[in-house]
This record gives sequence, structure tokens and C-alpha cells, in this order.
Amino acid sequence: MASSCRTFLALTLFLGALTLSQWATGTAEAAEKLVVYSGRAERLIKPVLDEFQAKSGIQIELLSSGTTELVNRLQAEGDHTPADVFLTNDAGSLEHARELKLLRPMNMREVERAIPSQFRATDNSWVGLSGRFWIVVYNTNLVKPDQIKSLFDLAQPQWKDKIAVPNSGSEYLQAGVSVIKATFGDERTKQFLQGLKANAGTQVYQKSSQIVDAVAKGQVAAGIVNHYYVYRHLATQPTAPIAAVMTDQQEGGMGAIMNVTGIGVTRASKHVESAKLLIEFLVAQAGQKMFADLDKEYPLHPDVKADPSLIDRRTFRAAQVPLARLAELREATLTLIEQVGLR
Amino acid sequence: MLTATRAHPPSSLQWISLITAAFLVLPTCYILYVALTAAPTVWSRLWSTRIPELLWNTLSLAAGVALTTLLLGVSLAWITVRYEFPGRRVWEWALALPLAMPTYVLAYVYAHLLGMGGPVEQGWQTIMGPDARLLSPQSFVGVTLIMALDTFPFVYLLVRGALLNLNISFEEVARACGVSPWTTLWRVTLPLIRPAIAAGLALVILYVISDFGAVSLLRYQTLTYAVYQQMTSRYDHTAASILSLLLVVMAIIFLVTERWFRQRSRFYQTSGRYRRATRHHAGPAGTALITGYVVLVFGAAFGIPAAMLIQWSIEAIAQGALDARFLGFIWNSSFLSALAACGAVIIGLPLAYLASRRPSRLNLACLQAAYAGYALPGPVAALAVLVLFTHFVPVLYGTVVVLLVAYILHFLPVGLQSMEPALQQVTPNVEEVARTLGCTTRRTLRRVTLPLIRNGFIAAWVLMFLQTMKELPATLLLRPVGFDTLAIRVWLEASEEYYQLAAPAALLIVLLSLPALLLLVSKDWRGRDQEVVS
Repeated sequence: MASSCRTFLALTLFLGALTLSQWATGTAEAAEKLVVYSGRAERLIKPVLDEFQAKSGIQIELLSSGTTELVNRLQAEGDHTPADVFLTNDAGSLEHARELKLLRPMNMREVERAIPSQFRATDNSWVGLSGRFWIVVYNTNLVKPDQIKSLFDLAQPQWKDKIAVPNSGSEYLQAGVSVIKATFGDERTKQFLQGLKANAGTQVYQKSSQIVDAVAKGQVAAGIVNHYYVYRHLATQPTAPIAAVMTDQQEGGMGAIMNVTGIGVTRASKHVESAKLLIEFLVAQAGQKMFADLDKEYPLHPDVKADPSLIDRRTFRAAQVPLARLAELREATLTLIEQVGLR
Repeated sequence: MLTATRAHPPSSLQWISLITAAFLVLPTCYILYVALTAAPTVWSRLWSTRIPELLWNTLSLAAGVALTTLLLGVSLAWITVRYEFPGRRVWEWALALPLAMPTYVLAYVYAHLLGMGGPVEQGWQTIMGPDARLLSPQSFVGVTLIMALDTFPFVYLLVRGALLNLNISFEEVARACGVSPWTTLWRVTLPLIRPAIAAGLALVILYVISDFGAVSLLRYQTLTYAVYQQMTSRYDHTAASILSLLLVVMAIIFLVTERWFRQRSRFYQTSGRYRRATRHHAGPAGTALITGYVVLVFGAAFGIPAAMLIQWSIEAIAQGALDARFLGFIWNSSFLSALAACGAVIIGLPLAYLASRRPSRLNLACLQAAYAGYALPGPVAALAVLVLFTHFVPVLYGTVVVLLVAYILHFLPVGLQSMEPALQQVTPNVEEVARTLGCTTRRTLRRVTLPLIRNGFIAAWVLMFLQTMKELPATLLLRPVGFDTLAIRVWLEASEEYYQLAAPAALLIVLLSLPALLLLVSKDWRGRDQEVVS
């Protein structure tokens, strides 16, 4: 009996010693290392980072998590953060991180040459890398092509129990609602959200891929997602009965809702030069092409062409709400979403 | 039923337990502080939009799962302890296996199998016509069944342990006095195993109300899920804290009630003449019935999901999902879980010991404080720990230590639930005899108390190891950079709908949990148990 106690104590001591040694090696960090906090799915970012690592010899440590979680984490960690770079899918979150002084203003000629100014922070503390659009995905067996032209169509009573929407926690829903709110004002946005809520019922999803899946199976007729989920689904299931509509392109319409994936260097980073190399790599033409194509997004570098399977960028227009405004609009948007009671 | 009543001066043990309890309630207090200082408008907004629905969903789910696990757990424990049937030895440990299957894995497997357009529905529609629908895994009944299939082993294991340690003499006396078998069951056996049932159900309910993985995948809105949604969509955590406050209050009300019931039924083995029950041989019809029932439950809770995981894993490995990084994930998971379990046993010992041996108001309060952590949902516990550490000991931030604190805070109640009954089983008299015979306090603890409680503590260690291995939200929020665990891998892949790629890590979690589970139900362990009691 006493021996089992000794075994337990020995095990505990051993594990404790291991922890300490791990901690010790963790603090004595290598010079050529970059810690990247990424709000983007690991699968969609790791190949590019691996490529950078192979080219530059700078080792990348990746931490993938939710966007808002990471902003909260950066804020809680403050000056002690191990992160050098923050990369995520939502311009509103990047702008918010900038306002919290978590990001470092940058002066980089390569960036200014490659990325148009509307896709960057005013002080370049974050830089857009690729663009995505809200689209409506519909089941071609259940919906005729001209039945849905605008996002507002989905709020009509005829779609009761026939549409799927993302849950109110997703940054892209919040950003989209902010754009609608900035374009049409509170009242119209509220009506729109109430219509969506009534029509979606319990079809509220955590993940856009689940929405596309539900549409493809005919569980619902249509849903709101980012454009690339449709192409991702079609890549694995080419016969799926789904199609995408770029919405609100009619005369006087709002235009498609756009958001960008962007990158910024943290204020606390001790590896600014290495981080600059990463950004240079990502805004250069080769990096742009690779980064955008991995996720079937639109590159922001004007000279880089998007994946040919995407809807040609020149055939539609985007809503005229500056990306940097997404951060200031967010709090009011959240309140509106909560008032309506979206899940 | 004689207990010693002496006045004790505060010992060093008492101080340790007080300080531990203080640290354990600190995160909870932080959350309460944030919630109670929130602007009234936030409160009223939440009341009018979310809270009633969330409260109803959470409570009805907890009740539904508790009822289902009660039926499953007690009936299976009874069958395996009191009946002899082919393969009994295999089934009695096989029924503990669902503990190794994380709820989020079970949820995603069933979302695929029973979901719209899934294989089961397609089969059903070929028989019943194209418009036939099955029970949706996202409905109340679906979620309840899935959660119950995953949690019934808590009740099963604890009730089985109680039944095995039960002295059959009590039942025999009742029978000899002319009481019918059914009345004996109701009036003698069930009351004797009531503490085990209560402890098991307490585990189940706390597990359900703080579960995040399954409810999020099945899109069933509970308070914990809503807390996570608020946390991941808001920069300030006021709304999340308010919802957490409700959760904590709910858990405290429940824990106090449960404890009150348990206080009223404390039993000691007073005589040395322990005899175990002999097993009934079920007839052919009985055997068929029992086997059918056991196979059904086991298949639904473990067999089918495991088969799916194996199939998906094979497909994923064919795609090259296993690389060198995988070894690192395995090491991270095992290392963190073992460390958390050891830490929690050490921290829990003084709390459980004092509360069971000197149940003063203060000691009981210290123990209750440790239980509050379980009802603090994973993400909120993680956030509270994170903020406390960055405020007071920033140098430890980003290390394994922070994560361990969150694990211990979160899973200590699981361990305490089996450490406490173990301590309660030891008659205070035994220790007093040792003291009378000249043993020092320390020697009594080492020679008498520790050997007697060893099995309960091993069970505690194993349960905490398993829980930590499966933990998701706190690991997501607190893991140091480059410290992904298997659970994180499952989540990262599964949340992007790469079910096949998630399968190898999920399967490994299950496999790594197996040796620990075997230890829990091994014959060797049970044999010694009887030796100790007799």
C-alpha cells in the first residue's frame, strides 16, 4: 500500500519536473521564430506558412482559434503575449485590435504598392490579403435562378422554414449586418433580421459548411454563406445541386457584402523584422496567388488573377462601406442582433 | 453510526484546505463580480431575449438525461452484479467504455448517421417511402439520448461499486423476516445504494449543464453553449458572465439539495462479516433478453460510433493524415491529463478528508467551494483563470501551469465525487482504534486510512484523467502555442467538417483512455476492494 503511494508521488514529481523543464525551454526561445495567432482554419493557412518557412528559414509556430477569442486573448496577454503576428478573416476584428493598440503601425513600401488603400488600416497596422463576399447559396431543385436577387428576398414570408443562416456569433454575419445597417439604417435592418429569424427557425448553424451541406441535401432551399464554401463543396461533390447568387446587383442595389482576410504585427512582438518578411511574402504576387487560391478567395493585389472557377470580379460590384468602419459599427450591430433575438 | 465529536483546533491541514478553497472560488468570484456590476440594461435585454428559453432548454435536458441515465445505469449495474450470463465478464467492463468516447464525437457521428440524408434515413426511406422522417438528432429527444448514452457509465460504475460492496446479509435478514423480494429491493437494497445513485446522477447533471461539445454540434441551445457564443462574439464578457452566474446558481442549488439527501443516508460497514451476493443464472429467455439489452446499449453508446471512427480513420490514413506531428499531440494529451489528475488528487485530498471526517460548517463549505468549478462552464473558467494569471503572475502566462489550474478547477469535482464516498466508507472507529493502539496521526493515515481509500482515489484519478483528455473549450482558450492536444485536433478538423481527418485523433483519445478504464473495472481492483472491507 505504501508502495502505491510512493509510485503516485514519484509520478507527480516526474510530471512536475517535466513541466518545469518545458517551461524553461519555452522561455529560452530561438531567435528565428514567429508565433502566428490565426483566426482562419488551419488547413487554409498552414500550406502558405510552410512555404514561407521553407523559403526564409524562419520557423512558424501557429495557434489557430476563433477570431474574437484571439482578440480577447491578445488583450488579456498584453505586453506578455507570445504572438508576433495576428492573422484573421474579419476586417472589423483587425480594426478593433488596432483601436485597442494591440497592433503596430507599419511603414512598408511593398505593402503600399501591392494592396489598394481601401483594404488596409490608415496606419497600415493591418493589411488585407484576400477578399470574400456574402452570397446566397440555393438548391437548384427547389429554387429557380431568378427567384432570389437580393438578400432582402430571403426575409420574405414565402421562405418560411426554407432558409439557413449562420449563428449570431459568427464575425462574418456581424460584419454583413453592419454593412446593411450602414446602408439602410436601423429600421430596415431590423425588419430584415426579423424576417430572417422567422424564416430560419431552428436552422441556425455554427459553420458555413453546414449551411451549404443543408442546402445541398434539400433540408433548406437557400442559405447565406461566404462565397468560397460553395466552391469547396463543389470541389468534393461536383454533382451537388447547388448554385451561388451574387446578391443586390440590381440598379440602385447595395452591392455584394465584402470582407477581407488580413494580417497585422503585434505591438509586443520582438521579431518585427521577421514579421515584415512574412507580410512581404504574402503581398507579393506569388504569395497573393497562393494565399487566395487555397481558399478560393479573391486576391487583393490588382495584378493577380482570381481562380477561374470564381464569378469574375469585374462582373459585380461591392457594397460601399469602408472596411475600417466595421469595427465602430459592431457594437450597435450586436445590440440590434440581440434585440431581434437571433440565436 | 458512532461518530467522534471532539473540538478540533484548526490544524495545518485545515489551513491548507482553506487556502485551496479560496483559490478555487477566486475565478467564480471574478465572474460573479463582472455579472453583478453589469449595467441593468444588459440584464433586462438578456431577460427579454434569451434567458427564459435557455433556462428551460438546460433544465429539461438535464432532467431528461438524468432520468435516462438512472434507468440505464441502475438496470445495467444490477444485471451485471446479480446475474450470470454468457460474456458477463466482458460486458461488465465494456459498459464502462462510453466514458472514453467524448460527447462531441458521439454527437458528430450521430449527426452524420441519423441526420437528414444520412445513411440511416436513406435506408428508412427505401422501406417507408421518400417522405418518411426519422427522429432528428438535433431534437430534444435526440440530444437527450445522445448525451445519456455518453454519461450513463457514471451511474453504472458507481452503483455497481456500491452493489459489489453491499453486504448481502442485510437483504438476507429482510428475506428471512418474510419480506418479498421486491419490497427488499425497495426498502433495503435501493436505500443502501442511494448515495451511489445520487453521486452518479450529480455527475451526470453537472456534466450535461456544462457540456459544450455535443450541444454545439447538435445546435441545441443551453446556457453553456450560449455563454460560449457570447464569449466568442463579444469583446466584453458581461453577457457571458451573467449567463454563467445563472449556471453557477443553478449548480449550487442542485449541489446543496443533493448533499442534503446524501447526508441523511450515510452507512457504515459495522460488522466484519461481509458476504457478497451470489449470482442468479438467467434462463434461456432471460439470457436472450439480458444479452439483447446489453448489446443494444453498448452498440449505440460505443460499438457503432467506434466502428465509424475506425472506418473514417482508415480513409484518413490512406490520405496521409498521420504524420510526425501526431506523436507530439499524443504526448501533449497524455502529459497534460496525467499531470492534471495527479494535481487534483493532491489538492482534493485535504478537502474531502476534512469534510468527511470533521464535517464542521467550515470544512463542508470548503468542499462545496471546490464543487462550484464544475458548474463554471469550460470557456468561462478558462477566461477567469487567464485574467487572474495575467493580473497577478504574468510570468506563468502561456505556460502549461495556467491550463492545469483550469483543468483542476474544472474537473476536481469529478474526482471528489469518488474520493468522498471512499472516505465515508471508512468507519471513524477504525482510525480511532489505530490511535488507541498507539499509532500517530501520520502513521494512522498511512497504515489505515490511505489503504482503505486507495481504490476510491484510483477511481478519482482515472476519471479526472479521462475528463481532461477529452476537454475542449478550456484547452482551446489556454493552450500554450504549439501545444495542441488530440482533442484540439478533433475539434479543428471536425469543425471544418473534415470528419474523416478528425477520426484518427478521436480514435486515439478513445484508445489512450482504455488502459485507464480497464484499471477502473479490473478484477484485481475489485478483489482487493473486498479484502479491504472484510
